[in-house]
Amino acid sequence: MIPLLSVIVATLAAGTVLTFLAGSRARWVALATTIVFLAEVAALFAAFPGWPGYNSALVPGFADGESYSWISIAWMHVNYTVGVDGISLVLILLTAVLQLATVVYSWEEQKRPAAYFGLVLLTCFGCFGVFIALDVLLFFLFWEAVLIPMFFLIGYWGGPQRRYAALKFFVYTHVASIVMLVGMLALVFYSGAASFDFSAIYASARGLSSVLQSFMFLALFFGFGVKFPIVPFHTWLPDAHVEAPTGGSVLLAGLLLKLGAYGLIRWAVELLPSGLHTMQPVLYVVAFVSIIWGSVLSLSQRDMKRLVAYSSINHMGIVLLAIALDSSLGLLAAVLLMFAHGIVSALLFMASGSVHHTFGTRDIPAVGGITPTTPTLSTLIMVGSLASLGLPALISFPAEFTALLATWNTLAYWVFVPLIILVVTAGFYLWMMQRMLFGPARGIPSTAHDVPWYEGAAMAILVAFTVLFGILPGLLVNVIMNSPIHGFPGT
Amino acid sequence: MDLSSFAGPFLPEILLLAGTLLIFLLDVLGIRRIEVTGAVAAGASALALLFVVADLGFAPLAFLANLSAGQVDVAIAPGATPLYAFTSLGLVFQGIFLTASFLVALASMSRPSNERGAPIFFGLLLLATLGMLLVTIASDLIFLLLSVEIVSISTYLLVAYTRKDVRSLEAAMKFYIIGALSTTLSFFGASLLYGAYGTTNLFAIRAVAGSVGYPVLVLLGYGFLIAGLAFKATLVPFHAWAVDVYDGAPTDVTAFLTGGSKKVGLFAIFLVFLGPVLFVAPGAGGSPFSGGTVNIGPVLQVTLAILAVLTMTVGNVLALLQKEMKRMLAYSSISQAGYMLIGIVIGTSPALTGATLQMFANVFMKTGVFLVVAGVTALGVGPLIDDWKGLGTRRPLLGVAFGLMLLSLAGVPLTLGFVSKFVLFSSAVEAQGYFVWLAVAGLLNSALSVFYYARVLKVMFFDRPEPDALPTGAVAGGSEPSLLAAGGLGYARATAIALIAVAVVAFGVYPQPVLGAISNAAQHFIHVGP
Repeated sequence: MIPLLSVIVATLAAGTVLTFLAGSRARWVALATTIVFLAEVAALFAAFPGWPGYNSALVPGFADGESYSWISIAWMHVNYTVGVDGISLVLILLTAVLQLATVVYSWEEQKRPAAYFGLVLLTCFGCFGVFIALDVLLFFLFWEAVLIPMFFLIGYWGGPQRRYAALKFFVYTHVASIVMLVGMLALVFYSGAASFDFSAIYASARGLSSVLQSFMFLALFFGFGVKFPIVPFHTWLPDAHVEAPTGGSVLLAGLLLKLGAYGLIRWAVELLPSGLHTMQPVLYVVAFVSIIWGSVLSLSQRDMKRLVAYSSINHMGIVLLAIALDSSLGLLAAVLLMFAHGIVSALLFMASGSVHHTFGTRDIPAVGGITPTTPTLSTLIMVGSLASLGLPALISFPAEFTALLATWNTLAYWVFVPLIILVVTAGFYLWMMQRMLFGPARGIPSTAHDVPWYEGAAMAILVAFTVLFGILPGLLVNVIMNSPIHGFPGT
Repeated sequence: MDLSSFAGPFLPEILLLAGTLLIFLLDVLGIRRIEVTGAVAAGASALALLFVVADLGFAPLAFLANLSAGQVDVAIAPGATPLYAFTSLGLVFQGIFLTASFLVALASMSRPSNERGAPIFFGLLLLATLGMLLVTIASDLIFLLLSVEIVSISTYLLVAYTRKDVRSLEAAMKFYIIGALSTTLSFFGASLLYGAYGTTNLFAIRAVAGSVGYPVLVLLGYGFLIAGLAFKATLVPFHAWAVDVYDGAPTDVTAFLTGGSKKVGLFAIFLVFLGPVLFVAPGAGGSPFSGGTVNIGPVLQVTLAILAVLTMTVGNVLALLQKEMKRMLAYSSISQAGYMLIGIVIGTSPALTGATLQMFANVFMKTGVFLVVAGVTALGVGPLIDDWKGLGTRRPLLGVAFGLMLLSLAGVPLTLGFVSKFVLFSSAVEAQGYFVWLAVAGLLNSALSVFYYARVLKVMFFDRPEPDALPTGAVAGGSEPSLLAAGGLGYARATAIALIAVAVVAFGVYPQPVLGAISNAAQHFIHVGP
């Protein structure tokens, strides 16, 4: 049997190091690494869940499990344990797609390209690691490994306020990950788990009292929630997004926000069921506030990038709501939403980056009627906006529909809160399209020309996935349903 | 007495003593070149280190271990009051101290070969290390404090060995006065304890501690003893001297002070508190903190916990404010002592494992950074952090090595510093109760510390040097000899720095061998005692 997950880890590690060392050829190395990565992910998909190494000795349902002892002393057993289930597999696909899109989009990066592409790859490597790690220490290593390259991407390649934004991003997420680490250590040691492995904690954590579970759930929720980001810990996000280079924004919105949601599902919801049950009202309140507040803030933005950034808070609020429902349909909806938002927000951030390159500004009222000048860009913005507002046959529709259905099943008429907000969301995207894409030409510099091929290609890749999974969401649903979550088949 | 059964366990000490005498003998004979005396010192330390590692059960060196077989972790007969006892934790610390002296001796061989005072430097270095080895085997307060004195007196002289540098002399004077005060306090504390217990032997104290209880005499005794040893260990509020001394001393000596001799104070606190198992009321059973009628243990414990949090916070905050490289590193060294103290506060064998691993990591990191500073200063770079601008890009290997040490100090994953903090803070959570807050405090502090280490990295790798900031010829411009850091630093120092950088990463990625040995030693120590 081929330990495929470790092979991917080795690929990404080697690819990242080589990219850093490759100098002016870094983009080619990065692209090659990405293509190999995609092929390996395809191999993972092809054989899921009937992969020959299917290891049911872990928690039932994790495929491709590998476990090697790393640290073993009397009271502490840390392993290199990895494995995937449907949830992580879908997010791994997202990682690979966004890595490809980011590398292609940044093809002509001039400022220290080797370091830039190296950091992009390192970020994706860290995210991949987070999605496969089934050991507390390993998870934390990868979790932190994401933070550092993103800090440098914002701090070195970012806009005028980049230092402030990078520092704020670092402080917020680092403090959160400290709380998360303490929560996880408490989970291990209070439950008396035999090792730091997910399966060992899974076996013992259910014995914890409801009070302890609630405290630990709260710690983990805070740790993961800042990455979501949940209101009131969201203020790092607009700053980081606006100042980050486009590639950084894409990874930030597409992947980093998903880490929080994934961590919450994997390490809090699955391990601490009665903690979730006790804290459910808190989660509902936070989710509704995030949904409403994110949407209201989006409405008042003039900067296109800022608008997309705030709408991320709104979308991730719906993800949190879906997770908080504590139903298998809700979890399915959450994962679908994460995938959809990853693709669509990446598309919109790329589009706003291209708007900035082409017109020298992202101020929505400043430019108008761009369609005749830049038809490709205009089309891409339109697809992205329509996908984001949930047009059927595009990827967000099945996700949002499932989320609303799950909300109705559990909360009945409360479903009107996200539903009305979705209408508002549709409103601000339509308004943006009306102002920017149509009407008389306004504020278009004479030098403006349509997007360069690499930017177009990157966005086209994302559009392809938007349409593919919009029409065939069942492909994703089948994979996700094969996860060891209570209520899913395969448990 | 059979010679091997006597000499066997004492072989490292004998080697160091022989090395010291040989160096002084060579001095009398007029052989004073730094390469010769330095080689003797480094060789003696390395050989002694090999024996210690062998005694710890490192399989490939088993043939060396036969000499001392069966003399480590031996249970003491009831009523026996030996002056010394070999514990495996003591051996681990011998390894830590010998590593410090080996690295410092090796790097110091790169100083100008006709430097005056070289025999004094290396002789005193070995003598101080000898004192440290004796501290680790002490099981009697008088033996312990006398061994600490050997270390102290040797290090006072080490700070002043150049005899000409006014700053060093001032530092030595300050060090001496504070040191004398702390010695007085410790001995006063020990005499009070003698009054309370009727003995100065740690085994005997352990036997009677329960029946004596915690009268005022005992409290005062331990109070003075803590205060005296806290000076040596640079715990806040007994830290004020440390920065001036670390700053003023020749930098190679500073490397030895922070890497080695400061841990003497911490180990002595280990012995005094965990040896008689002060927190563990006799017969309390499995949980260290239940049982016992007099609850003064917890009070002392909380006091030490506050000291630990204060030490790391004050050290970190002041380090954040420093503009000079050496002072910044000195304050960070103080904050590191706070982390180690956590292990003593908690007092379980996991916590002892964490604290010991933290000290093991610290030897490499702190000795390493000061050895780099010494080398870079010798190249003509000024004392300010800003003077290091562009050093990382001009001397990539040196920059990377120094960067790795700083990352390790900051606790960045896949370095030794991360593993040690992870184990230490895990042990705090493992102990449960309010100790979880110690872990939170420690983690927040280590997050804070990232800023001042990252600032140095930024200065070294991102900032461009001003044209006239670097002295011409030494590190500036195209006169760079080669990528290999040895040019200008000297091969011995470059070797020491490279060894440290490799160790920081290797033990960070795969800590199991060291961690396993330390864990076993800590378990023996808690259950058997000195």
